[in-house]
This record gives sequence, C-alpha cells and structure tokens, in this order.
Amino acid sequence: MEEAFRVIFSAAFVAAVLRVSTPIVLPALGGLIAERAGVTNIALEGLMLIAACTGVLVSAYTKNAWLGLIAGVLLATLFSLLLAFFYLQLKADLILAAIALNILASGGTIFIVYLLINDKGSTASLVSGQMPFIDIPIIKDIPILGPILSGQNLLTYVMLIATGLVSVFLYHTRTGTHLRAVGENPDAARSVGINVKLQQYLALGLSGIFAGLGGIYLSMGYVKFFARDMTAGRGFIALAAVYLGAKQPVGTLIAGLAFGAADALSIQLGNLQVPTQIVQMIPYIATLVALVVYALVQRQRAVNRQRKFRQQQAASV
Amino acid sequence: MAESLIEMRNITKIYPNGVRADNDVTFEVRKGEIHALVGENGAGKSTLMKILYGLERPSAGQIVLRGQPVTINTPQEAIALGIGMVHQNFMLVPSFTIAENIVLGTEPVKGGLIDRKTAGDRVRQLASHYGLAIDPDAVVDAVPVGMRQRVEILKALYRGADVLILDEPTAVLTPQETAELFAAIKQLVIDGKTVIFISHKLREVMQISDRVSVMRDAKMVGTIDTKDASEHLLARMMVGREVFLQIAKPPAQRGKVMLQVRDLEYVSEAGVDILKRISFNVYAGEILGIAGVEGNGQTELVEVLTGLRPSIGGKITLDGEDITNHSPRETRQAGIAHIPEDRLTNGAAVTASISDNLIVDRYAKEPYTKGGLLKLSAIKQLSDQLIEQYAIRTPDGSVDAGALSGGNMQKVVVARELSSNPKLLIAAQPTRGVDIGATEFMYEQLVKERNAGIAILLVSADLAEVMSLSDRLAVMKDGQLTAIFPSAKGLTEEEVGAYMLGLKQQTQLEIEKNW
Amino acid sequence: MQTTLPNPASGYDRAAELQRVRRERLQTALIDLSVTLITILVALLIGFLVLLIVGKNPVVAFQALLTGPLSRINRTGRWLEDATTLIILGLSVAIPFKARQFSLGAEGQLYVGALVSTVIAIYVPLPPVLAILVPIACGMAAGFLLGLIPGAMKAYLNANEIVSTLMINAIIIRAYDYILTYILTAPGSQTVTSADVQVFSQLARWSDMLNLSLGRFNIGIVFALLLVAGVWLLLSRTPFGYEVRMIGSNEKFARYGGIDTKKVIMLSFAIGGAIAAVAGSHLALGVHRRLIPGISFGLAFEGIVVALLARNNPLLIPITGLFYSYLRVGGEIMETQASVGSEIVQVIQAVIILLITAQVLADWIKRRRARRVA
Repeated sequence: MEEAFRVIFSAAFVAAVLRVSTPIVLPALGGLIAERAGVTNIALEGLMLIAACTGVLVSAYTKNAWLGLIAGVLLATLFSLLLAFFYLQLKADLILAAIALNILASGGTIFIVYLLINDKGSTASLVSGQMPFIDIPIIKDIPILGPILSGQNLLTYVMLIATGLVSVFLYHTRTGTHLRAVGENPDAARSVGINVKLQQYLALGLSGIFAGLGGIYLSMGYVKFFARDMTAGRGFIALAAVYLGAKQPVGTLIAGLAFGAADALSIQLGNLQVPTQIVQMIPYIATLVALVVYALVQRQRAVNRQRKFRQQQAASV
Repeated sequence: MAESLIEMRNITKIYPNGVRADNDVTFEVRKGEIHALVGENGAGKSTLMKILYGLERPSAGQIVLRGQPVTINTPQEAIALGIGMVHQNFMLVPSFTIAENIVLGTEPVKGGLIDRKTAGDRVRQLASHYGLAIDPDAVVDAVPVGMRQRVEILKALYRGADVLILDEPTAVLTPQETAELFAAIKQLVIDGKTVIFISHKLREVMQISDRVSVMRDAKMVGTIDTKDASEHLLARMMVGREVFLQIAKPPAQRGKVMLQVRDLEYVSEAGVDILKRISFNVYAGEILGIAGVEGNGQTELVEVLTGLRPSIGGKITLDGEDITNHSPRETRQAGIAHIPEDRLTNGAAVTASISDNLIVDRYAKEPYTKGGLLKLSAIKQLSDQLIEQYAIRTPDGSVDAGALSGGNMQKVVVARELSSNPKLLIAAQPTRGVDIGATEFMYEQLVKERNAGIAILLVSADLAEVMSLSDRLAVMKDGQLTAIFPSAKGLTEEEVGAYMLGLKQQTQLEIEKNW
Repeated sequence: MQTTLPNPASGYDRAAELQRVRRERLQTALIDLSVTLITILVALLIGFLVLLIVGKNPVVAFQALLTGPLSRINRTGRWLEDATTLIILGLSVAIPFKARQFSLGAEGQLYVGALVSTVIAIYVPLPPVLAILVPIACGMAAGFLLGLIPGAMKAYLNANEIVSTLMINAIIIRAYDYILTYILTAPGSQTVTSADVQVFSQLARWSDMLNLSLGRFNIGIVFALLLVAGVWLLLSRTPFGYEVRMIGSNEKFARYGGIDTKKVIMLSFAIGGAIAAVAGSHLALGVHRRLIPGISFGLAFEGIVVALLARNNPLLIPITGLFYSYLRVGGEIMETQASVGSEIVQVIQAVIILLITAQVLADWIKRRRARRVA
C-alpha cells in the first residue's frame, strides 16, 4: 500500500499520466466538439487508427515525420467528413455509419500494412518518424515540476493548449457559438440563418482533426510504430471522457486525465502484482456511475422543484 | 389608400405528399398596418407565412415587396429584406442568455471574439426603445413565457425587421401578458413597423388589427377592414357556414356520478403550477364540456386523468374506484377511453398496421391473446368488423395506418376508443384540423355514446363546438375551473368568453353547487 | 392540411384496392431486395477495384473469396460454424433494434455467456443433455442480467445506451480477461486458457456424427435455428413482441395505449443479452471447448451487420448470417491462396453497412419507380 502511494505521488507518475492521457484527451476534444453540435461521433476509434497508420507509413516512406503528421490528420479529417456526408447528405444512420467506419479503419489499416510489408501485426520492421519531445528551458530545471512539465511530446503540449483553444472556440467565437446553438436547438439556429448542415460538417471535420492528432501521437510519439487495432478502445474512452466531463472542455480534459491516471496506475501497479485489468476497469465504471448520477440529479431537481412548490403552497395556506 | 408593402400573388403550395396547403392565394399588406390573418387550423395561413419568410418555397405564384418582385429562398433572405417572424414555438436556445439569443447569428465581434458587452448594451438599448422589458443576462431556460416572446420580437427587430410576422402570439400568454404584447405591437406600428398577426382568436383580432384576411381550405376568402367586420362575420367567413352547428340531441338522461375529480393538482417538472385544486364530476349519460383558451392546463388535465402524467395531489375516482395516479393501462382497464388531442403523434402508429393500431388497448386480453400467443384470427375479426362499422377506407387491416388519409386515421382512433365499451370517454380537441364532414361524424359519435349512457368529458378550445355539444359546461382558466354551468343551454358566447378570459369568475360556492 | 372524410357510399372498390395494395407490397419487397443485392454487388465491386489498384490479381482473389467456402468440406464446416455464431448474434441485436434501442452490448453479453456457461461446464458434474442445457441456461441468465443494466438505465433514467453499453463491454472484457488469466488458467500453465469443458458439455460436432470433416461445426446450429423460430414467434406472435413493435413504431402511442414502455424497453435489452450469451456458449462449448483470451474478436459488431442486412427480420437473419460468414470465411481462404489480406472483407462489409443505411439509395429507386408508373 505504501509502495502504491509512493508511486502515485511521484513526479514520474504524473508525467506518465500526461503521456498516457494524451491519446485520450485529444480525440475527446474532437468528440466534444461533435457532441456539442448534436452529432455524436463514435467513429473516433477508427479515425485514430487511420491517422496512426497513415502517419507511420508516410513518415517511413518520405523520411519526414511532419509529412506523416499532416497526411495522417488530413486522412482522418477526410474520413470524418465522409461520415458527415453519409449522415447529412445520404441520410444514413449516424451510429451505424460510424460503426461501419470503425470496421473499415480496423480492416483497411491491417490490409494496407499487410500489403506493404507482408506483416499483419505491426510496422515494427519500418523505420518511421516521431514527433519531437520538447525540453522547456528554465522549467526543466525546476525540481518536481521540471520532469512533469518538460520533456513531454509535442502533442502532449498540443493537448493542453488545444483544451484552452477549444474552450475559447466554443464559448467566445461566433462559429463556436453557432455550433452550440445547432446542437441545442437546430430550428432556432436555422431560423436566424445559421447553416445547420455546414456547422455539423465543421464539427465532424474538427472532430476528425483531433482524433487524427490522437492517432498520430499513438504511433509517432507514444511508440514509433503502428500495430493492428493499437487504439485499443481509446476512441470509446474518449467519448466516455466527454460525457464524464459534462460536455465541457476543461471537464473533458480532467476526465481524460483521470482515465489516463487509471491507465498509468494499472501499469505501475502491474509491477506490484495488482492485476492491470482491475485498475483498467475503473474509468469505465466511473463513466457508468457518472451517467447514472447525472440522470438521478436531473430527476431529483425536478422533484425538488415540485416539492418546493408544495411547501410554498402549504406555507401560504 | 396607403401604399402596398407586400403583395403575395396567386401563391400555390403543394407538398411532395400531394397536400395542397395554399391554393392560388393572393394576400396584400400595407405599410404601417396591423394585418390579421385568420383561419382554422390547417387553412393554410401558416404555410403562407412560411413562404413569405423563406421557410417554404411556393409551387407557383409571386411575391412583390415594395413594388419589386422578389424571391425569398431562405430566412436569411427574408431577414435581409426586412421581414422577421416570431414563431409559435419559440426558436430560442435554452442554455444561452437572452442577449446571446437576440444577437445569435449576427454577434458583434472584437478581435475575433464575441463582444458580449457591446451585445448586451445594444440589446438593452433596443429593449428600452420599444418598451419591451427583458433581462439581457438571464438564461432563457429560466424566464417566463411572456419574456421569451419579447425576446423573439427583439430578435427580429435587432435584425432590422420592418415587417413582423407574429404566429399565434397570444396562444401561450396570460391576459396581462397579452395586454402588454398588444401595447408593444401598437408602439411598433407608431415606430413605422408593419405587423402581420396570425390568429384564430377573433376577439383579439377585432381588438388589435386594422384589416383582416380570412383563409379557408387553402384559399383566401377575402380581406376586410376591421371596422367593417364583426366576430360573427369573420367566423362565418372562416368556417363557411353558420358557426352554431345545430346538433340534434335529446335531453340528457343523467345517471350516476361516473368520474369524480377532487382537488387535483399538477406541477410540471419545471416547477410550474399547472393544475390548481380542480374538482368536478362527470355523470353517466351527459357531456361535460371544458371550454377555455388553449394552454390553461387542459392538456395536462387530460393526461393526468388518463395516467400519462402523475398528479401531486387530489383524488380521481371512476365509478367508485380510486384511480389516482394509475398507469395508462390501469385507467383504460378501469373504463376510460381517450381520443387524444394530437391524434397523429399519440393516437396512432403510422408505420404499424391498422389492425395493430386497433388493438393497442386490448392486445393482451382474451380473445386477442390466448395461452401467451396473439390470436391473429381474433384480431383480424375485430379489425374487419371495425373497418366495416366505421367505414374506414382501406382494403383490409394489414395496411399500414400511415397509408390512410387523415380522416380515416381519425376513424381508426375513434373506432378503437369507442369499441372498448368505456364508462368514460375523454375527447380532447376532437375536431381540430379536420374538415366539416369529419367534424359531423365526430359529433354524431359523441352524441350517440352519450345517449347510450356513457359519461363524456369534452375538452375543446372551440367555443362554438363545446357550447353546442355539452350538457353542462365548465370553463378552465390558469389551471382552475372558473365556472361550471348546470346547463349549456341559453349561454351566450360573450358570457362564457368573459370567464375564459378571466374577466368573470364564479364563487367557490357556485362552482361546488354544480360539481 | 385538410383531411377528408370519404363518403362510404362513393363506390369504394375494396377488392380492387386489395389487389393494388398487394401489388405495392410485392414491389416494396422487390425494391428492398434489389437495394440489398445492388449494395452487395457495389461493395464487392469496390473490393475488386481496391485489389486492382493495389496491384493484386483481383480475379484470383475473388475466385478464392467467392468459391472458397465450398471448395473443400472442411472449409464448408468452418463457414457453417461461423454462421452459427453470427446468426445468434444477429438475432440478439434484432430485438432491441426492433424497439429502436441502439444496444451495442452484445459483445459484453457474449463474454459473460461464454464465461458463465464454461465455468459450469468445467466444474459442475451434470448428466448428459443437462450438461449442455444447464450451462447454456445459466449463461443466458447472466446475459439477461447484464442486459438489464443498460436497459434499466435507458428506460428509467434516460441514460444514453450507446455510451452505457460500450462502457459495460469494456468492463466485462477486462473482467473476463482477469478471471481467465488469474482464476481459470492452471498455475504454471504456458498459455492463458481454461481447462477443457467436460465431455458431456461439449456441443457434439457433425464431423464426429456424420463422418465428414466438417471441422468444429456443431449442433450449436440447432440452437441457432431454434432461436430463429423463437425470436420470430416472440416478435410477431406474442404480446411482448407486439409491445416491442409498437414502441419501435411510435413510443408515445405505445404509452398512450397502455403499454408499460419502460419495462418493455428494459426487457428488450435483457432478452437480446440472453441470446447474445448463447453465442458465447456456442463459441466456448462448441467451437473451442474451453475459454481462450478474446474469444469474440469483435464478432458482436458483425452481428449488427447481419441484423441490418435482414432489416431486423428474424426469418431473414439465417440467410444474411450465412451470406456474411461466407464472405468472412472466403476472405480467410483468399488470404492463404492469393496472399491478399482477409481484412478486405471488412472493407467490403463497411461499404455494405454504409450503403444499406444510406436511406437515399432506397428512396431514389422508389422515386424512379414512381416516376415510371406516373
């Protein structure tokens, strides 16, 4: 037990949490934007895979990590827009189309990797690029904070900055405000001339960018290869983080970090003979409980309003 | 002769499903007038206004604005032309503040970000200029209906509207709010705005408008100056016949108390007090009518009685059995049949077969279910019999209900509810949106059931209808019964109207006497 | 807007109308069928083009894909074994889908079914027949209870069922992994796997009974076909099925008519869960005869495709299940014979789902027909 606490309160652990959370929070921000525009994106998982695979392959063949990043994010965005096209233009069911996209991504990435290097497991035999890790001057020398805040992958910093940007975007820009209006009352948005479809295209497109960044981090930051189904459900955890974070940017970040912490903990505790599966369940259980609690709170509020009314009435009689 | 601002010429609108909502309608609005557009539900007035506001495109016809022919394809184009619309169901984003809602789509921007301060200032200024009291920083979800409507009006004005279309603006308002609204409308006209006022409340139309156009059956019946009109004349134009249907019905053979309601209370989930200690009886063999302006709790009353909403106080007894807060199935089993207000969304499943629609209240009972399995032969026998008896126009019961015309769908609902041999029939707005033939069918059925000794609770916003059908008449206002008349005979519309509008109210003693 | 009341005396020719309705019904069925067939053809064509573009010989590959499962008897056995699981999963998904509930929980329910039935089949000594029925029944009970959770959350708390079922899947998969690794695997064992189930609990293989090398194809197909009949009966001939159909058609109407919509919605999840658990039992008792890690390999999502292709009609699910596993097994054979990744089948599958759910396609055909008739 003491050992466990020492693990949790170490700087190395906090740094690990940031590392492990990055591929959850980035797609979660994408999921958040889509959710706020009224289009639940359960294709995050597939979009991440597409970007992770594309990034590795392009960087391996061009010997340029940045081209890998751009190609991966671009392709994920295009597929996200394809999902939007099927939903908005061809009137396909959003959930089923997203499931199709996940299947397509899972199968398609393996198919292409197998085609190119005749290996279904991973691209370990390729030399692929990696996003840089950044040492921040001055900060890196501060004890405790230094090892946490400095030396992280570029995309981890992108995650932190992006949370702020998404918050500003959603609450302080016209486009973001319109996007929320569309998600909350499409008729109201339409009646003041906001193009509902365009906003939802935009939301799914942005969602693809963030999912793409998350995928790139997995294969070009966290590790330096692509492996089949390497997202391992992170796209779904990301969606859970959106719900657990009350569909707010900062809440989503915190929920994502919490999920990352559980994940990091399971790795650390694994060394201490605690089964990883048990610790890994925590975020899912937390989300499930959060769903129930949220619903109960909503209901209780309504009951309270009714009760309050009755009391007032009783008092007046 | 004032100049003509808007001319809609020979407008026809045919929907893809073949419904002709507007048929060669010509409509003209002059600058600076309050022009009322009246007609029954489904007469085509809303569609006409949607065309003007760019929400629908006409199948044929032309719009001329300030002498120039224009095409209006989207609401943005309408807004750009100075046309604003306040919809009946408000187009507001609940979690946004009032200011955010008003400037939505045209937010002032500073340095790339929304300038909330400027937005708030502009909204405040606009509101005070027109004397429309609002709190720009309040969240829409938390403000009363009347304020939401003022927000909608300000939204249109903020966008520079010269012409305001108000779609049934008073349907959801209290009398005070209505009075405030009318004052605001008059102020708008003084300011040089033009107002189109859609309504089917003739009293209000007489009170507020300069001219009135009447629509009926997708056609324009005519336009007259309000000073030359009377409610009676307008009503005749709207309906195309004398308003008071002569319904032949023998004197009521009133039996025992069938439904007894005492101190019934309902508070909505939003904490709004909807039903305030309502008490009344319905006797076997009589029709008790409940008159009232829509939105005074009638819908909730019916839903509480039928188990669709929980009451928070009071007692409902049917034929001596306490059915307070019973489930819909239990209330049906106790003997309540219900012709719902919104028959297409609640009363029928359009993607299910007619037979399936006919058995929803009894599928689990013998002979329709035997030994845990549905008995298809019994179901078919029932549906064949009801199709025959009610002359439902369909080859057989296996056809989807959605393939029926509106009138036939209505018959499916009526056939099911009446064939359940109820003790009490609740009919909510039974003739809304149906034509004269279907209306007469419905009246005949109600009177027939009443003569057969069934208790009938008729809830209707159509004053003429409820007055001529009912044996006894109650008036509902703000969630209370403000009057119960022992006989509907000899009452005048004016008298009942005074109670509906809250100008008069019976004493508690008078009401209790007539429970 | 105006509704019209037909005059009964206005010469309504019921017989002629009946004929017209029957004709239209036939046409609709034909359109649905042709949309499905066109979709499959288009998807295969896209797969063909992909192979062409990436420089593989598509003819060789497609020959293996489309004739493979019938080319050898053991491959046929593999096909039928896979189809058994998919048919059961398709049925499990069809029930909540029919009530318009997007339960994605079949994956977790499958694991729970496999786990519970296998544990009983390993450790509880039972006489023949009962040794099969009791584990399967217990698995079904577990799947039922697991389905109740998202069902109750949706029905009584209005919690998003997509999120809740995905979360429950993730939890169950880890729980399964944990139990298998730490409890069921013998200490010191090299591989993570449970003990074999008792002989009486194994679903008999046709290869042993018929002396044909049908591989692991087993009597589970009998259970699958019984379930087809059962689910059909449930949905179209019982009061519960009626309730499910009415909720799927118009939930407000169902409630107004007296149906306890919350209870029925909850049960639709749970019954789907019980059936998905049978798929798990089939894999554990019939195919592998023990528990292995990741026994489902994401099969449950494929069950959605099977149900979707059959438009949630239980009687069509065997056909779409057989078709779909034919493609899957054909893909495996293609991989060995033409060195083309079997995953191309997943690509084809994705295209099929996308095109089937794209409402516009069916509407387009209907409009064209209508125009021609006019």
